[in-house]
Amino acid sequence: MNKATEYAIEVENLTKSYGDLLAVNDISFTVGKGEVFALLGPNGAGKTTTVEIIDTIRTPTSGKVTLLGMDVTKYKHDIVHRIGVLPQGFTSFDRITVRETLQYYSRLYHCRNTDIDGLIGLVNLTDKRDEQYKNLSGGLKQRLGIAISLVNDPEVVFLDEPTTGLDPRARHEVWQVLQGLKKAGKTVLLTTHYMEEAELLADMVAIISRGKIIAMGSPVELIHNNADTQILTLQSADEKVFEIVRRIGFEPVHTNHNNIRIRVEHTEDVQQILSAIKDAGSFYRGLDVRKPNLEEVFLKLTGEALRDGYVEGGEAE
Amino acid sequence: MNLRVVFANLYVKLLSVYREKTTMFFTLAFPIILILVFGTIFMSQDNMNFHLCVQDLDQSKSSKESVEALELNGKFKITRVDPAVDTAQYVRDTKVNLVLVIPKGLEKSLLRRKFFNDFTASATVTYVYDPSSSSVSTKMDILNGVLAGINQEMSRIPPFLKPVSKSILIRKYRFIEYFIPGIIAMSVMTLSLFGAVNMNTELRQKGIIRKLSTTPITRTEWILSDILYQFTIAVVSTTLMLLVSYAVFDVNLHINAWLPAFISLDVFAFVGIGMILTRFTKEAQSAAAAANAISFPMMFLSGSFFPIELMPGFLQKIAKTLPLYYVNEGLRAAMVFEDTMAALRAAAIIGAFAAVVFILGIIATKWEEGQ
Ligand SMILES: Nc1ncnc2c1ncn2[C@@H]1O[C@H](COP(=O)(O)OP(=O)(O)O)[C@@H](O)[C@H]1O
Ligand SMILES: [Mg+2]
Repeated sequence: MNKATEYAIEVENLTKSYGDLLAVNDISFTVGKGEVFALLGPNGAGKTTTVEIIDTIRTPTSGKVTLLGMDVTKYKHDIVHRIGVLPQGFTSFDRITVRETLQYYSRLYHCRNTDIDGLIGLVNLTDKRDEQYKNLSGGLKQRLGIAISLVNDPEVVFLDEPTTGLDPRARHEVWQVLQGLKKAGKTVLLTTHYMEEAELLADMVAIISRGKIIAMGSPVELIHNNADTQILTLQSADEKVFEIVRRIGFEPVHTNHNNIRIRVEHTEDVQQILSAIKDAGSFYRGLDVRKPNLEEVFLKLTGEALRDGYVEGGEAE
Repeated sequence: MNLRVVFANLYVKLLSVYREKTTMFFTLAFPIILILVFGTIFMSQDNMNFHLCVQDLDQSKSSKESVEALELNGKFKITRVDPAVDTAQYVRDTKVNLVLVIPKGLEKSLLRRKFFNDFTASATVTYVYDPSSSSVSTKMDILNGVLAGINQEMSRIPPFLKPVSKSILIRKYRFIEYFIPGIIAMSVMTLSLFGAVNMNTELRQKGIIRKLSTTPITRTEWILSDILYQFTIAVVSTTLMLLVSYAVFDVNLHINAWLPAFISLDVFAFVGIGMILTRFTKEAQSAAAAANAISFPMMFLSGSFFPIELMPGFLQKIAKTLPLYYVNEGLRAAMVFEDTMAALRAAAIIGAFAAVVFILGIIATKWEEGQ
């Protein structure tokens, strides 16, 4: 099979520097056709720079990027017709309604037969179709942004942090829309700093930190390969329990709801902790042992949290 | 280039501004308010020159006839001041700038001269005036002329030099008619400059420009739609200004193809400057500040509000380097003086300027975000 038809995106040794700052440092990856690929990393990791080089907004310092078989630095003119982009932090014309906005963007592509109402239905905005952009909530704006990126029925869709800043419910609604895209067979390059998003939507995840890809694979692979530890959570434990666990050589962490979270390496460790608590006459209301999630994998790999304010093991909402 | 794309952009921009009702109102109302305010001031100033207070201390048949003669002369509208009044105080209190005082004994002197040919008999009329008034000297000049005429007539010798005036203008224009083309030129400048700066910085901040760079729209299509948009706004604004001027001040201006020609040159020149500013200023606020720094001195120095001949020589030299000056000159030549050659000259200069600036603006307009 021809390589050009096999991959939607090929990135080879891509580097981008802004003056002295090396924002993207020699990264390589491929995205297969119909695949949802997520770049997962904290702010400033180089996600936007990478995506915007691939979708022709920026130019690389060095390296080679091939999109649908075309070199992105040479065939912008042909590429733009075949991709759809939702830039990070995108907003639209305040006073223009949902319908008018989609009509406007479809005209830019010289499309005469875009199914505007179909698109509006796809992102669940049918009852807001005559609402002006400025009156839409954050989640609805992002859903419209996704619809805009689809007006030309693109083969590859770029979504740069489509759910950042949304409340959990709005985020779930955007996820539903994105799952629809996946079903429709679009190739999607997604950036996010929400691991649930990557876990839920992506076929492949590249964890990016300080301009480098530090791990890549399917979510299951990533967790499996890095799951040499387990997470023990003790619910509603009292203050003494924290001290006891520490005394026997573990590193307990307080999380929300008075829970205590302990990273353990073997199942025997769990027994050791529980009996130490029992011997001391202290108690807990419940316990839970599980494998780490992508967020914890990220923390283990980089030593940094994905987002500000992230409490290990806590839901950072 | 695809016209459908150009018109899609034009439509979205016009729809946005149309729905932004308050912004639209103030944008369009500002020049109209200027016209109404200044028009009213000029009207009352014109009237002030023809208003004359006379105090007749003689109260004789002859003095009364003289006052009537002044009135019939048609140059003045006379207000009679009570002989008992202290004229200096009167000028101070009532803010009239001049009172003509006819002395006691006027009739006696007149009779002595008429019947006894006593050429030493004369009467001294006094101008009691407020030197701080700007229009009083004009009024005194007119009055001197009238008095000279009376003296001349009384001498019964026919004058040797007889002046006949011949205006270079087909007809006399009023100041408001001179003023309106200046306001049109100025408003189109402000609309285009700030329109270009505000729209482009706003769209850049919203990420719309970045988004557009991933669509097939070209820079040419985008800039053309911008020009058409600014031109439409300028035409709407100018039309409203002219309607108000005709309705309120009954002006008499020549509306012909020169008007849209100068408006579009004005738009090209200042949208071009706006595009250059947008490129070289990072923040939206500094772009607007730069636009202010350019447009504000231009308004006052280029003769939008008053003829530059009233300014000191070096300022006049500066005025002649400003693009807006040529729009003013051109529009006045076309709309007031009907001087085709002058209009053509101004159009050539502002046209060349607009072409250069606009091309620089196109070059400066950056589509891609990064290097
Ligand atoms: N246009 C630019 N000029 C200079 N530095 C930039 C520019 N864009 C991004 N950077 C820097 O490059 C790094 C990566 O940024 P970015 O790609 O936006 O990361 P992310 O999208 O992962 O948050 C950051 O340190 C950022 O400050
Ligand atoms: Mg980013």
